[in-house]
Amino acid sequence: MKTRKERFRALEYLFFSALTVAVFCLCVCIGSVNIPLGKTLSVFRDALSSIIQRCLFRSSAAFPEGTDVSILLTVRLPRVLCVAITGAALSLVGAAMQGLLKNPLADGSTLGVSSGAALGAVVAIAFGITFPALPFAGTMVMAILFAFLSLLIILGLTARLDRSLSTNTIILIGVIYSMFVSSLMSIVITFAADRVQHITFWTMGSLQGKGYPDAAILFGALLVFGGVILFHQRELNAFAVGEENARHIGVNVRRVKLTLLIAVSGLVGVCVSVGGSIGFVGLVTPHMLRMLTGPNHRRLLPASLFGGACFLMLADLVARILLNPRELNIGIVTSLTGAVVFVCIFYRTRRGK
Amino acid sequence: MMLSVKDLSVRYGRNQILDHVTFSVEEGHWLMVVGPNGAGKSTLINAVTRNVAYTGNVLFEEEDIRLKKPAELARCMGVLAQSHETAYSFSVEEVVALGRYAHSSGFLSRCREGDGDAIEAALALTGMKNSRSRSILTLSGGELQRTFLAQVFAQDPKLLLLDEPTNHLDPAYQKQIFDLISDWLKKPGRAVISVIHDLSLAKAYGTEVMLLHRGQVIAGGKARDVLKPAYLDRVYGMDVCGWMRRMLSQWEDPEEARTGNRA
Amino acid sequence: MKLSVKRTRSLAAVLAAAMLLALTACGSQNDGQGPSESTVSSVAEQDGGSQSAAEDSADDAAEQDGGQEETDSTSVTVTDMVGREITLDEPATRVVALTPSDCEILYAIGAGDTLVGRGTYCDYPAEVSDVPAVDSGSETNIEQILALKPQVLLMSTMSQTEEQAKQLEEAGVHVVISDAQDIEGVYTAIEMIGALMGKDQEAADVVGSMRSSFAEIEEKSAGDGSKTVYFEVSPLEYGLWAAGSNTFMDEVANMMGLTNCFADLDGWASVSEEQVLERNPDYIVTITMYYGEGPLPEEEIMARPGWENVTAVKNKAILNLQNNELSRPAPRLAEGAKMLFDFVYGSE
Repeated sequence: MKTRKERFRALEYLFFSALTVAVFCLCVCIGSVNIPLGKTLSVFRDALSSIIQRCLFRSSAAFPEGTDVSILLTVRLPRVLCVAITGAALSLVGAAMQGLLKNPLADGSTLGVSSGAALGAVVAIAFGITFPALPFAGTMVMAILFAFLSLLIILGLTARLDRSLSTNTIILIGVIYSMFVSSLMSIVITFAADRVQHITFWTMGSLQGKGYPDAAILFGALLVFGGVILFHQRELNAFAVGEENARHIGVNVRRVKLTLLIAVSGLVGVCVSVGGSIGFVGLVTPHMLRMLTGPNHRRLLPASLFGGACFLMLADLVARILLNPRELNIGIVTSLTGAVVFVCIFYRTRRGK
Repeated sequence: MMLSVKDLSVRYGRNQILDHVTFSVEEGHWLMVVGPNGAGKSTLINAVTRNVAYTGNVLFEEEDIRLKKPAELARCMGVLAQSHETAYSFSVEEVVALGRYAHSSGFLSRCREGDGDAIEAALALTGMKNSRSRSILTLSGGELQRTFLAQVFAQDPKLLLLDEPTNHLDPAYQKQIFDLISDWLKKPGRAVISVIHDLSLAKAYGTEVMLLHRGQVIAGGKARDVLKPAYLDRVYGMDVCGWMRRMLSQWEDPEEARTGNRA
Repeated sequence: MKLSVKRTRSLAAVLAAAMLLALTACGSQNDGQGPSESTVSSVAEQDGGSQSAAEDSADDAAEQDGGQEETDSTSVTVTDMVGREITLDEPATRVVALTPSDCEILYAIGAGDTLVGRGTYCDYPAEVSDVPAVDSGSETNIEQILALKPQVLLMSTMSQTEEQAKQLEEAGVHVVISDAQDIEGVYTAIEMIGALMGKDQEAADVVGSMRSSFAEIEEKSAGDGSKTVYFEVSPLEYGLWAAGSNTFMDEVANMMGLTNCFADLDGWASVSEEQVLERNPDYIVTITMYYGEGPLPEEEIMARPGWENVTAVKNKAILNLQNNELSRPAPRLAEGAKMLFDFVYGSE
């Protein structure tokens, strides 16, 4: 029996990674500028062989050049990478929060954690909080810090109102908190309009113009914080059954909760400081995947990684090509999808009661 | 002595919920904690499981529970809560398997030998074997309670704490749950403490009874020594025994009993 | 293009307001729906007729007022750019202008000293910053404006301004809308404001000099439309936006024989980075402000990964018009056009 289950999991992994690779290829091949598939493939083949030759034989093999190469390798590929990692990270965060709080509507965007992180980033930029050694670190550290504080505030306020942290109370507090933070953000932006990016970047998010360094930062964050979340699958299962029950079966509730909240804040903070707050990814994907894999986090968390990457890559693809040559904001696409799913879940959970 | 509690006090703000409560539980015993609403019964369970701050001493096998890690404590004591709110469609087996958490925490020993057996045994004991892959969202209240009982059996604690485990269950399920627990108690090295409202159940299953009132122990000892009108009437402010006798006497009416049996 | 400006001999009549239209602070991203030109020309046609009508109403007003004032004063009547008629007893001496372009026009015609209040984003010429600022755009604050006791408020519209204009006019402030969609519209606006301020001659001079410098540029330009230019109105960091057709930048580019490489888009539009690379412009014009930190906007564009193959980047053909020379419907459009001309064709 056990072996059958293990094998099923292996199959699932295979399916999800194959799907992710397929979506990734699709998103790299299709874009605002139409580059024929043959050309695309040859660009990648040439680039790959050039890199291999340089690394293995230290020869100075010519790297392919041209507009198509620029578009594919320096514009599209890093962007799709960033989108995929952001999607995976946000979706993992969503799954973790939904488990931890036993609340299918929890997510960085519905609870106002993303807004909090964005506020942190904006404050860091507006007041010039930086560390000389790492140019982005100031923004990132502040975003993480504010995300964490936001979580503490939201959970603290909710706990005062309603000790059982019920779904509706926590969402209500989250909405109020988001609105509050958004207005604070507008104020900061008004005072430092010359330094801070346009507010839509922070409220809607954008991964336009992101390069390999951004992808590397995102990947690092996913490795560290995502790893922490993935190591707490059993604890998340326990929390998803109930926090009281988790305590009774011997989960160190305080420590695990704190660890997970830090990991979640870290991941949200890094994602927001790189790409702004992209809403609803963390809500939509885990919810849809739960129908497929069940609520067990051993399967749900890995599935969320892959599913989130696929979902955001496709959303970004729509944003890039729907109104070509104009570009839509990726947050518009995710919020549009997300709002519909949100309403569906809300109705279903309400009717269930 | 499995559990000994000395001068246990809990206060929430100005409210003294528990006031120097002292008692102990020996192996093989089933202690029933009774008392009116607000007597501090549930708080007692919360304090003993280190869920609320307290003063005084709680020793498990002569060791202060405050020195134990959560998983260690869970291997000593298991809790069955009175009700469970479910949100996600975990399967019965997944919930029961969580009971093994304390025995295999730390990611290096994810699956230990014996986990599977313990889970199987718990499912079999509670009769949930055939429902193992059902979603907990589809279970009735009694089935859900049996699932969590199986979880706590799988957890294999030495001391089982029950907080009104059959509060909202029908008589058939009540009997089932209590019979299951008294079977579980037959193995050596085990003990049970349960908070309970139903004085008849307390008398029928308990080896000891402790009567709490406004955070203080009014009486403790053998069931027949404690569940006496002298104590109960004072604590509950009414003729409890008389009322229960009247309740039961309805069934002793030959006419009623006959029709009742036929139905 | 004539304006319906009349000076009558008698006292003026007071008007009420109706409709308003928008002229945003950054200008030119309007969708070109503004009826500025047609309205003004139609008014010009009925010029003769409306003269007598205006006289009639002025007479009525004089009668009502009991004929206190002697005649022969200099009453001013203008039709603003949404077709409303505004009559002043005499040229305005206390003006609040909400849009940067109207401020610029006031200074260009030598009426800068009449400005008693300005919108938040008015930044040119430098002395405008000495004028008290009021909230503008969506935050337009009527109390702030009334406190400055202006005779005239020059403004553009947001959705709620119809109501605001009504309030202002009830409080005795004349609301004048200026709304230029193209260079001809800018001339109209200048002449209208000139008339309002009693500076017709100065306004005519400004328009004349603009006309001649555009004519010169058009004449000297050798372009045949084969070279392309990309107007970047928002940098990559904030999400790329380009100026498409029906913008001042597009109009100026066409004037000098350049093709706007995003002419297929209308107004200002967000564009995909890939499209810029694919369209491979020969020239890049950015309007990003430089605040003295980090790389210059030109350098930032040069350093963008993947842009090294763009012709403009290869040739370092990037111009920064960071002071809104080509994005505001104001007299400096001519300067902006000249800068672009010099940049493309050399300044000899």
